[in-house]
Amino acid sequence: METEKKLMDEDGNRLDGRKWNQLRPIRLEVGVVKNADGSAHIEWGKNKITAAVYGPKEVHPKHQVLPDRALLRSRYHMAPFSVDERKNPAPSRREIEISKVIREALEPAVVVEDYPRTAIEVWVEVLQSDGGSRVAGITAASLALADAGINMRDLVVGCSCGLLGEHVVADLDDTEDKEGNGDMPVAIMPTKGLVTLLQVDGIYTRENFQKAFELAIEKGKEVYAMQREALTKRFFSSDLTSGPIEEEAA
Amino acid sequence: MPIVERKQVIPGDVIARGDHRYGPFVEKVGDDYIALRIGLAEVGADGVKLNPLTGPYLPRADDEVIGKVVDMNGFGWVVDINSCFDGFLPASFVFGREFSPATHDLSSKFRVGDIIGARIESFERSRDPQLSIRGQGYGKMDSGELVKISPTKVPRLIGRRGAMINMISERTGCDVRVGQNGVVVVNGQPEATTKAVTAVQMVEKEAHAADLAAKVEQYLGSGGDGN
Amino acid sequence: MSMKKNYVVETIRKAQMMDMLEKGKRLDGRALDEPRKLTIETGIIQKANGSARVSLGNSQVIAGVKIATGVPFPDTPDKGLLVVNAEILPLASPYAEPGPPSEEAIELARVVDRGIRESEMVDLTKLCLVEGKSVVTTFVDCNIMNVDGNLFDATSYAVVAALRTSKMKKYKVEGDKAVSTDEVVPVPIERTPISVTMARLGGAVIVDPDAEEEAMMDMRITITTDDDGNICASQKGEASTISPELVLKAADTSIQVGRAIRSQMVEATR
Repeated sequence: METEKKLMDEDGNRLDGRKWNQLRPIRLEVGVVKNADGSAHIEWGKNKITAAVYGPKEVHPKHQVLPDRALLRSRYHMAPFSVDERKNPAPSRREIEISKVIREALEPAVVVEDYPRTAIEVWVEVLQSDGGSRVAGITAASLALADAGINMRDLVVGCSCGLLGEHVVADLDDTEDKEGNGDMPVAIMPTKGLVTLLQVDGIYTRENFQKAFELAIEKGKEVYAMQREALTKRFFSSDLTSGPIEEEAA
Repeated sequence: MPIVERKQVIPGDVIARGDHRYGPFVEKVGDDYIALRIGLAEVGADGVKLNPLTGPYLPRADDEVIGKVVDMNGFGWVVDINSCFDGFLPASFVFGREFSPATHDLSSKFRVGDIIGARIESFERSRDPQLSIRGQGYGKMDSGELVKISPTKVPRLIGRRGAMINMISERTGCDVRVGQNGVVVVNGQPEATTKAVTAVQMVEKEAHAADLAAKVEQYLGSGGDGN
Repeated sequence: MSMKKNYVVETIRKAQMMDMLEKGKRLDGRALDEPRKLTIETGIIQKANGSARVSLGNSQVIAGVKIATGVPFPDTPDKGLLVVNAEILPLASPYAEPGPPSEEAIELARVVDRGIRESEMVDLTKLCLVEGKSVVTTFVDCNIMNVDGNLFDATSYAVVAALRTSKMKKYKVEGDKAVSTDEVVPVPIERTPISVTMARLGGAVIVDPDAEEEAMMDMRITITTDDDGNICASQKGEASTISPELVLKAADTSIQVGRAIRSQMVEATR
């Protein structure tokens, strides 16, 4: 297949030199937006995404109040300069859909019952877009929620896999996403082993479907290790935390 | 003094297994005790405990808080208590039972922007917290330097039986008021105030450090005037 | 986007601030005419023709430049297009909300745009490819990432830094069509406009108000100057009066404070 040849060479190397199951470089930082209750920035390949959380806070307008749990709001938004051709700043249908699936990917991890009658806002801003921006956004947003100190059963981490021709590969970049043969973004709660986001496009054999899906989970766990590291850096940065510590007020 | 090993945890981590009592920020799933927050976890005589290092202030009845008046209506003051819910201080708690919106001027007591010390009188999940200023030391604070810290670090700032806060107060000669909601007001001589504020911020920044008290003590020095 | 003006300054902070102002000082230790620390990073968005992240104290703005070709306005057939937009992102402040741009965001973008345009920072005639038919269009979009007062100057500096470091394809004209070449050239920059915003609190006039000072100001004035100390744009804000003497004094302050900021800008975007 011609696209296949172009996107992957004889030795299975991809255009940017990665192996089929290799992630792009990822950099995570927690606590980047001063005003926010929690925030994180992720650079994943060419993606540059900042996520911030405000809340729990009062719900406006009041009629949206949920008596028994928090209202989780989310917005995935792309800066006009984040893509090759300037994007109109008004939200597109794509951004609105992604906002929704991001919210639904995060909510299972958030103990919304602990914050009745409040709103928790998750804002994801894509400053530069590359393949896999929604899973990168979810990865950053879950760190922002943890940074805000909202009760969570787990973090949420995402990774996308897909097809180059008939080959399953991990973590498609922009070119592979556009010219490849399928994309499968997956988000998981890593310690629970449960899936919170699944979207698929492309044509997969039953075997390839399983391979891509399982690879996405495996790679997600790799990203999870980086999430842990970023939180450790932010909250436990001195090495004095292990060991006995004096008692405090009850 | 009981000494317990503490473990750094993030949401989703298993703190312990088996059968224990457990406190807030911990969820039991099957046999596992799961952390819901970033913090320091311990398993001791009191069961499974998690001291979070970040998180919002959630009001509890009888908490002492320091808040800011942000609005007034005919029946009382709306007070920002650094929480997801605004506190409400009913005018009848201040003027007494004979309070009437027609005869009493609320702004004669507190205006928008005023800082007040208050107690959470009641809080239910279905209603905003009600505040009271009955009791000693509550009411308007006319002066002082305001510092905000994470509410989760208030126990560290107070310390065991008030050890930390007393040390800061004694060594600087400042009056340091701490609200459970993370709002702190420091009153004293200008230089001493700066020193006390820095010490408070140090506790906030290094709350997870094992030798925090020693660090703060070293910063404050032994002098009683903060120099 | 709408910014609810519900930031209440504590009475005791107000009292302290007024005390200090009388002594010619500010709560954060600055002199009255002293702007906050300015940091400028450029080239942060590779997909943009130019970009900058500017922090003015805790206010932070990212500007990105996108250059393409388009059709000129009928009344300026021989000039390229330059458009400045700004969005106060909901992630930037607890008081910002998603939605269409608010009055504040639109005023912000227009005031910044005016300073850039009127100073003739970019020579738009050099961006005309085929008169009346084809010109270079330059969009500068600003993302406000954290709000802590004086977005006017922070945004303006981000735009200036992004434009000064922007690169574009060189175009050649074939017949009456413009075709891009492989050659990359800088955007034709002629001047470096610097805006300086002042606020009046009590009786004092201060440069570069932070959010707390803005919440207490009764008057705001932004004045943009160019490299030669000419005044090229201004905007008075808030529902209060200003004396003619104060306007002239503010102009002098803007020229003088702007000079130091311009040197830093030129240095950071060389």
